[in-house]
Amino acid sequence: MKKLIQCTVNGDEHAVLADPRDTLLELLRDRLELTGTKEGCSNGNCGTCTVLVDGEPVNACLMLAVEAPGHDIVTIEGISRGAELNPIQQALVDHGGTQCGFCTPGIVMSAKALLDAKPRPTEAEIRHAIAGNLCRCTGYDKIVRAIAAAAAVVAGE
Amino acid sequence: MTTSSPVEDKRELRVVGRRLPRVDARERVTGKAVYPADLHLRDLAHAKLLRSPYAHARIRGIDTSKAEALKGVLAVATAADFVDLPFGASVTMGEGSFDVWIVNQANMAREKVFWVGQPVAAVAAVDVHTAEEALKLIEVDYEPLPPVVDLAEAMKPDAQVLHSHVVTKGVEPAPRSPSNVCSLTTISRGDTEAAFAEAAATGEIQVKVDTAHQGYLEPPVVVAQVDPNGFATVWASTQGQFTAELMLARILGLPQSKIRVVPLEVGGAFGGKIALHGEAVAVKLSEKCGRPVRLMLSREEVLQGGTGPAAGAMIDIRVAADKDGRLTAIKGTYRVDAGGLPGMSPSLLMQASAALYQCPNLRLEGYDVVTNKPRTEAYRGPGGIQAAFAMEQAMDILCQRLDMDPLEFRKRNASVTGSLMPIGTPFPPIGLTTILEEVGRHPCWTEPLQPGKHPRGRGLALGYWRGTSMTSAAHVTIAGDGRPMVTMGPVDISGTRTAMAQVVAEEFGLSIDDVHVSTGDSKSVGYSDVAAGSRVGRTTTAALVEACADALRQLRSRAAEKLQSRPEDVAYANGVFRAPGGAAISLSELMAATLGEGAIVGRGVSTRLPLGVEIGAHVCDVEVDPGTGQVTVLRYTAFQDVGRALNPPAVEGQMQGSVVQGLGWALTEGFDYGPDGRLRNASLLDYRIPTALDVPPIDCVIIETPVPNVPYGVRGVGEVPIVPVAGAVANAVARAIGVRVLQMPMTPERVLNAMHAGMPS
Amino acid sequence: MREFAYERPDSIASAVQLMQKPDARPLAGGTDLIPQMREGRRTAGLVIDLKGVGELTAIEDLPDGGLAIGAAASASAIARHARVLADYPAIASSVRLIGSVQVQSRASLGGNICNAAPSADGVPALICYRARARIAGPEGTREVEIEDVFAGPGRTTLKPGELLAAIVLPPPQPRSAAHYHRFTPRREMDIAVAGAGTWISLDEQGRISDARIALASVAPTPLRAQAAKKRLIGEAPSRALLEEAGRLASADVRPISDTRGSADYRRTLVSVLTARALAVCCRSLGVEVDVP
Repeated sequence: MKKLIQCTVNGDEHAVLADPRDTLLELLRDRLELTGTKEGCSNGNCGTCTVLVDGEPVNACLMLAVEAPGHDIVTIEGISRGAELNPIQQALVDHGGTQCGFCTPGIVMSAKALLDAKPRPTEAEIRHAIAGNLCRCTGYDKIVRAIAAAAAVVAGE
Repeated sequence: MTTSSPVEDKRELRVVGRRLPRVDARERVTGKAVYPADLHLRDLAHAKLLRSPYAHARIRGIDTSKAEALKGVLAVATAADFVDLPFGASVTMGEGSFDVWIVNQANMAREKVFWVGQPVAAVAAVDVHTAEEALKLIEVDYEPLPPVVDLAEAMKPDAQVLHSHVVTKGVEPAPRSPSNVCSLTTISRGDTEAAFAEAAATGEIQVKVDTAHQGYLEPPVVVAQVDPNGFATVWASTQGQFTAELMLARILGLPQSKIRVVPLEVGGAFGGKIALHGEAVAVKLSEKCGRPVRLMLSREEVLQGGTGPAAGAMIDIRVAADKDGRLTAIKGTYRVDAGGLPGMSPSLLMQASAALYQCPNLRLEGYDVVTNKPRTEAYRGPGGIQAAFAMEQAMDILCQRLDMDPLEFRKRNASVTGSLMPIGTPFPPIGLTTILEEVGRHPCWTEPLQPGKHPRGRGLALGYWRGTSMTSAAHVTIAGDGRPMVTMGPVDISGTRTAMAQVVAEEFGLSIDDVHVSTGDSKSVGYSDVAAGSRVGRTTTAALVEACADALRQLRSRAAEKLQSRPEDVAYANGVFRAPGGAAISLSELMAATLGEGAIVGRGVSTRLPLGVEIGAHVCDVEVDPGTGQVTVLRYTAFQDVGRALNPPAVEGQMQGSVVQGLGWALTEGFDYGPDGRLRNASLLDYRIPTALDVPPIDCVIIETPVPNVPYGVRGVGEVPIVPVAGAVANAVARAIGVRVLQMPMTPERVLNAMHAGMPS
Repeated sequence: MREFAYERPDSIASAVQLMQKPDARPLAGGTDLIPQMREGRRTAGLVIDLKGVGELTAIEDLPDGGLAIGAAASASAIARHARVLADYPAIASSVRLIGSVQVQSRASLGGNICNAAPSADGVPALICYRARARIAGPEGTREVEIEDVFAGPGRTTLKPGELLAAIVLPPPQPRSAAHYHRFTPRREMDIAVAGAGTWISLDEQGRISDARIALASVAPTPLRAQAAKKRLIGEAPSRALLEEAGRLASADVRPISDTRGSADYRRTLVSVLTARALAVCCRSLGVEVDVP
C-alpha cells in the first residue's frame, strides 16, 4: 500500500506517493529526482547519503520515507544558490578535496552540520565529524584542510 | 644522471605544473556530476541478479517459470541467453587480448558455479521490490561440490579440481592432468643457492596476505537501452568504454556497430571497474522487455562475489648479502589466489618486488592458483603491495642482521639508470638515488622518533611499478570563438580532464579556462584502452600534443590565407597568428572568418609510448598498543618520482589516497572467508576501510626526473604509491615490538598474537 | 524487504494498543531495524513509529533526583543533554560511540537495548549507573533492572505486546565515577570486539566502597563481573589492583569466536579494558593510577 507523503525538502513542500518500504534516500533520488545524495551501501556504513534532518546529519538510507513528514530536510541541492557555492563547497574546490566525487555531497553535508554547530572546530573535531563519511580517493587530508579553511571563511578571518 | 631533456622542458611552462583546481570540481561539490545511478529514463525497469549460494556446485537445471509469471516481472535471463564461448576464446583489445570465456563465466554461470555470489539468473521488473520477490521464485537445481577455499589446499596434487580443462602453463613437459595451478612463471639469473651458501647474512620471511577489495564507494551501476532497431546504448561506470563494448559484443553475439558504451562519472574504480559487472545482463533484459533497464549492485553484492576483489597471496622471500651489505641473492616464491577463474600471470608483481635492487643472483617463481572464491580483479598496481609486504620486510630483516641502516642499505644496492631489471633489460632513466637522497635529508627520517605511551617504531620501504602505455586517442576541435574543445578516449578516473586541459592550454598558449575537455563514448572518439596501469596521463598527453599540433597546422594554413602569407612563415603564439610583416589574426577572429570552411579536427593517438616506470619510497612512524595490539600510524611521508607533475594537487591526491588504501589493507582490511567459501564480513562495517580518524595527514614529496622522448617527461603516478605501504608499516611495527607480524592485514589481534608468540615464556 | 504497514501513534496507550497486533514491531531510530528488515533478518507486518509520542523522546528529571530517558530519544539528544553530561557522563560518552555522527542523530538508547546485541555500546554504562527499564504493556507499566531485559543475542525478556518506554536512572552518588571503554579496530564506525563499563565509589579514606563492572561482546548478553567487583571493594586503587580486577573479569566471560575476534582475544581485551576503564574512573575521582 502506497502512502501519500508530505514533506519539506530544501524549503519546498512536496506531496509524493511512497511505499512504506522506501527509504528517505529512495524518496529523494527516485521520486524527487534529487540525485546529488548518493547511495554507497544502504546500511549506514558509508555516509554518502548524508542529508540534514532538522539540522542534524542523517544517513538517508536509515530513515523511512514515511518518517519524513514534519521535518525540515536539506540535501546537497539545497545549500548553494545558483552558481554561488557554499563556503565548504568552494573550499573543497580550492583545496583539491574532491576526486571521484561520490563521497563529496555527503562530506559537504556533514561538514555543514559541524560548522553550523561549532564554527571553529579543531582538526580532531573535523575528523570526528566526517568519520561517518568514507572516502576512498583522497586519504582525507585535503578534505580536512578544506573544511578548516571553510570555517575560517565563515568566521570572517 | 645525464638525460636528453625533451625540447618541451626548455620552454617556460605557463599552465602545466600549476596548482589549479579540477575543472570538474564544481559539479562534484554540488552533487550535479552524473553517475549512472543518477539517470532518470522514462519507463525504467529495475533488474536484480540471482547469485549462487554455493562456492562450488554443478547446475543441473534452472526453472524460471514462476518468476516469469509474477505480476510486474518484465524479463528473465540465464546463461542460455548469452553466447556459449569455448574455453580459450579471446578478443583482441589494443595491444593485448582478453579471455572472453572468463568474461562469460563471470557474467553468468553455466554448468558450474565457482564462488558464492556468481550470477546464475537475472530478472527485470517494474520496481526493485518486485524484482527481488521474483528472484526468490527462480528454482536452481544445484549439486553441491566440495569447495576449495584455502590457497595452500588448492595447490595440493590431490585437491578437488575446479576446472577440468586447466593444465598448468609454464611447466615442461606439459602435465597430463588438470590442476588448480593455472600457470607457473619463472624469472631467474645467476646461481642463488651458491650465493646463499657464501652469504655473510640472510633475511627470510614467509607471509600471507588476505584478499582485499578496491572499496570504491559507488557500487557498479549500469543502465542499458536497446532501441527498436536493436541498437544498444549502455551507460556505465567503467574504466574502459571500448573494452566494455568489445566484451559485450562477443558475449551478446552482437556486432560492435550495434553497441555504444557511454562512460559516465566513475565513483571510484582503482582497477575494479575494468571487468563487466552486469552490463551484458542489462542489455539482454532491455532487449527482451523493450524498456531501459537499470542494474544496480548492492554493497553486499559488491563484496559477496558480485565484483572481484584483489588477490590474496602466500609469499616466501629469502635474500642474502655479503659483509659489505651488498645484495647477493633474492629468492622468491609467490602464490597468488586468483579466485574462481584463472587470473593473470604473477610476472609483474614478481618483477616489481625485486626491480629496485641490483642483485646478480635471482630466482623468482610465481603460481596463479584458482580457489572457490570470487574471481579477482585488478587493484592499483595489482599484486604490488602484496609482494612488497614480503620483500621489503625480508630486506629489513637483512639490514637488522647486518646491523645496517635500512636507508644506507637501499642506497648501496639501489638500481640506477642502465642497471638490469629482473627480466634482464636495462633500466630506462630512473631517479631512485635522488629519491633516497631526499629521504635522507627529510625530517621524517632525520628527526628522532619521540618516545610515547607505547612502543614506537619507524619503517622504510620502497616501491616500484612498471605501468603500461597501450593506446590513447583524442581529438581537438576548435569552437566558433577559437577555443579548443577536446574529446579524449580514456575515461577520467584521476583528474585527467584537468591535467589534459592544462596540456592543451599550454600547447595553444591559452588559459585553462579556454579549454573544454570531455571523455567520448565508444562511438565518438578513437579506440582507447582502459584507464588503468598508470598510463592515461602520459599517453593522453602524448595524443593531445599530437592533436594540438595537427589542429594548429590546419589553422595555420587558414591563417596564412587570411594573412596572405605562406603557412610555414606564419608564427603562432598565445592565441595569435602572425605573418612576417606584422599582420596578425587571433584564433577567435580566424574561426569567425572561416566558420564555413568545415571543422578543424586535430587528431592524435599514442601507442607504444616509452614506459614511465614509477618509483617511490615511504617512511612511516607507528605506535603499538601492547594491550590491544592496535597500531596507530603517527606520521607518514611518501616520496615519489613523477617525471613531471602536470597538476601537483592531483598528484598529491593520488599519492595520499593510495597510501590510505595501503594503510587500510596493511592494518584493517581483509576478507574473512568461512570454510564454505562464504564471506563473513560482507559489509562496510566489518570490511574496515579507514575513516578520517584512522589515518594521519600524508606528507608528499614530489621528485621530477623526466622521461626522455615523452612529452613533458611525464611518468605514471597512480599505482606505485600503494605498493610500499604495508612494507613500511610492517617494518615500523617490527621495530616497535621486536617481532614480525606475518599476515596482512596486521589486525590488532594478529599483532597481539605475534607479540605473545614472540615473547620468551 | 517484505511489505509492511506503518503507524505513528501519539500516546503510549495507543502505541501499546497497536503493539497487540501480531507481527507488530516498534521503530525508534531505525538504524538497526531498517537494515535488518532490508536483509530479511527481522520482519514486521506493522511498524509502529514511537517518535510521535512525546514521552518516549523526552529526557526528564525525576522527583527523586534521578533522570528518565525516553526510549526513543536520539543518542545525539542524550549526549548533549545537560543533566546527562553533568551526572551520567559515561552515558553521554558511550552513546557517542554508536555508529557515526549520522547514526547518532537517529539511534536511540531504547533501540540499542531492545536490539539486544551483546556488543551494544550504550548498555554497560547504564548497568554501571544501576539504570532500570520502564516497560509499558497492556496491563500497565513495570520496571526491571536493565540487565534483566536481555535474554540472548537479539532477544529480550519483554513480553509480546510490551514496549520499552524509558530508561530510569537513580540519583547520582557522591564520590563515584563511571567509564565505558571499548575496543574496535577502527576508531569509530565499528562494533565493539569487547567493551568494559566500570563504576566505582570511594570512601573517606580513598578506598573503593562499591563497584560495578559490565562487559560487552563477551557473552550472549551484557555481563556483570562479580569476582572483580568483590576484589575491588575495600581496597585502595593501585595498578596491581586494577590489573587484577581485569584478570578476574576476563575469567568470568563466555565469549564466542567470530569475524570480529577470537574468544581468546576477547578475554585478553576484557582484562586490559577493565583495568583501563577503572583507571579512568579513578582519575575522575582525583586518584591517578597508571595503567598502561
